[in-house]
Amino acid sequence: MEYKAPLEKYTGRIREITLGRGEKSLKIGGSSILPLHHFEGNAANRPVVALEVDDNGAAGWAGSAVEPFKDVVNDPVKWGARCLKLGADLVCLHLEGTDPNGANNTPAEAAALVKRMTQELDSPLIVYGCGDDKKDVEVLTAVAEACQNSNLLLGPAVKENYEAVLKAVADNGHCIIAQTPIDINLEKELSVKLLKQLPPERIVIDPLSSALGYGMEYSFTIMERTRQVGVVYGDAAMQMPVIADLGRECWKTNQARSYGEQGMLWESITALSLLLAGADILVLRHPDNCRLLKEAIEGKI
Amino acid sequence: MILIGENIHIISKAVSEAVRDRDSASIQALAKAQARAGADYLDLNLGPARKEPEEVASWLVDTVQAVADLPISLDTMNPLAMEAGLKLCRKRALLNSASGKAESKEKMMPLAVKYSTQVVISVITDQGCPPDVDSRVESIMETVAYANGLGIDNEDIWVDPIILPVSADQKQVREALEFVRILTDLLPGVKSVVGLSNVSNGTPAPLRGILNRTYMVMLERNGLYSAIADVLDQELIDINRGGLNDAKVLIHRVMDGEPVDADTLPEKEKNYVKTARVLMGDALYSHAWLES
Repeated sequence: MEYKAPLEKYTGRIREITLGRGEKSLKIGGSSILPLHHFEGNAANRPVVALEVDDNGAAGWAGSAVEPFKDVVNDPVKWGARCLKLGADLVCLHLEGTDPNGANNTPAEAAALVKRMTQELDSPLIVYGCGDDKKDVEVLTAVAEACQNSNLLLGPAVKENYEAVLKAVADNGHCIIAQTPIDINLEKELSVKLLKQLPPERIVIDPLSSALGYGMEYSFTIMERTRQVGVVYGDAAMQMPVIADLGRECWKTNQARSYGEQGMLWESITALSLLLAGADILVLRHPDNCRLLKEAIEGKI
Repeated sequence: MILIGENIHIISKAVSEAVRDRDSASIQALAKAQARAGADYLDLNLGPARKEPEEVASWLVDTVQAVADLPISLDTMNPLAMEAGLKLCRKRALLNSASGKAESKEKMMPLAVKYSTQVVISVITDQGCPPDVDSRVESIMETVAYANGLGIDNEDIWVDPIILPVSADQKQVREALEFVRILTDLLPGVKSVVGLSNVSNGTPAPLRGILNRTYMVMLERNGLYSAIADVLDQELIDINRGGLNDAKVLIHRVMDGEPVDADTLPEKEKNYVKTARVLMGDALYSHAWLES
């Protein structure tokens, strides 16, 4: 008698989100199975890998992560194009240069840069503010307005500023990154608030990614639970794709800084782990790891 | 259900200052308000009582007994404060609390025998709070057997399953509920008591009441005997006196896993249904649980 493995049937489905417009657009999410459980059914879209670019000349980056981009780090447009050429599905711009404690670039400068990138790059764009919740409101609002209808993925919207970020995103046709500090209950709370103003097809959850040895297991657990609650238990407030912005966390560890090959391992192991946990978008720094993760996603390794 | 008024609690800034300044009027106002509201016991929570334990306990018991003719639940980890207070209790007191910790067995339980009090015994041991029903059962069987050995009858034991905040560990809410359901089968004659407001610790203040009240209904259905609770919450008192029957029935249906169409209900009932779902673990908790 032929053995037939028992299969779980789930009630929930992760929303499918489209980033970008027209030919440049990319779909993420849409899965009604647990991460990479392709034997269970339809994953809709495979996870995607973004490479990170910043507007601050890669200041503070570990040498090995800069190496493949060292001739273009002062031009984020060229840097982004290089990322795509080296295999990234899309580009993730971190507006580090807008940090009031750093270069303190103006919202208008940031908006002009993002606009140029949307025009010249052949991929959708993820844009993160510097993480200062007040400055981010000004910067993300300017970016959202300047790039109206480019359908960017913009954030982070956090507990302290989500109302203002949400308005900028909703009014200008973008998607939002809902970020909470590694806490499933706060994550749901922010989702519930955002869902009052924005359809779920325009929200991506960022539960915060920690690097291997620096709390990765917490991020893993939260991502895993997010997917379980959304797919297995059908909780509508948790049925959005998850972004794992992990490259920066890995490359700032002492282990990565002290020794390039160790940095490669740190980033790839963290990325593989969070992929298993259920991340739909991985943001990395090194193109070799981008290639490796794409092979893993495609089932080649 | 027997209600033990929780409001004279050293964690409250006003109470802490009143105790420090020996401000009888403030403490007595709280005691009278709770007695008027319908408390059956008054909990006097001194916490660890590090400074002048005996003086503070004696003063507090005398101060409260001067205006309220209710039995006292004396709540402190400090055996010196406990003994000083129990000595002065005019009605049969409730020693709150003993546990399976070695120190508690050695120093607290004998006071219950010496002063012929009733005694709260929690499931806590030297290993901490047991994480599930089975380990709670194991712990309480052992501790109650020890108390019986000292001469404390089951009828004088009020078992505390330890309530943890839903915002911190949602699963524990259900474990405690299940423990209460099976308790009297395990230990015939024992009573049960919970620190009800613990379930809403960490939840924004305006939302705490409905969590407390819903959980009270759920625990009562499973046989809970008493709760240390916010008796100044009028709706909680109303429920305890048989009110809000529609909401109660709906909460029971959620407990039984019956389908309830919350969207068709009036606002108040809808909120009780949503709260029951969160407490049962059917929906993931967030501070915005009433909004989704």
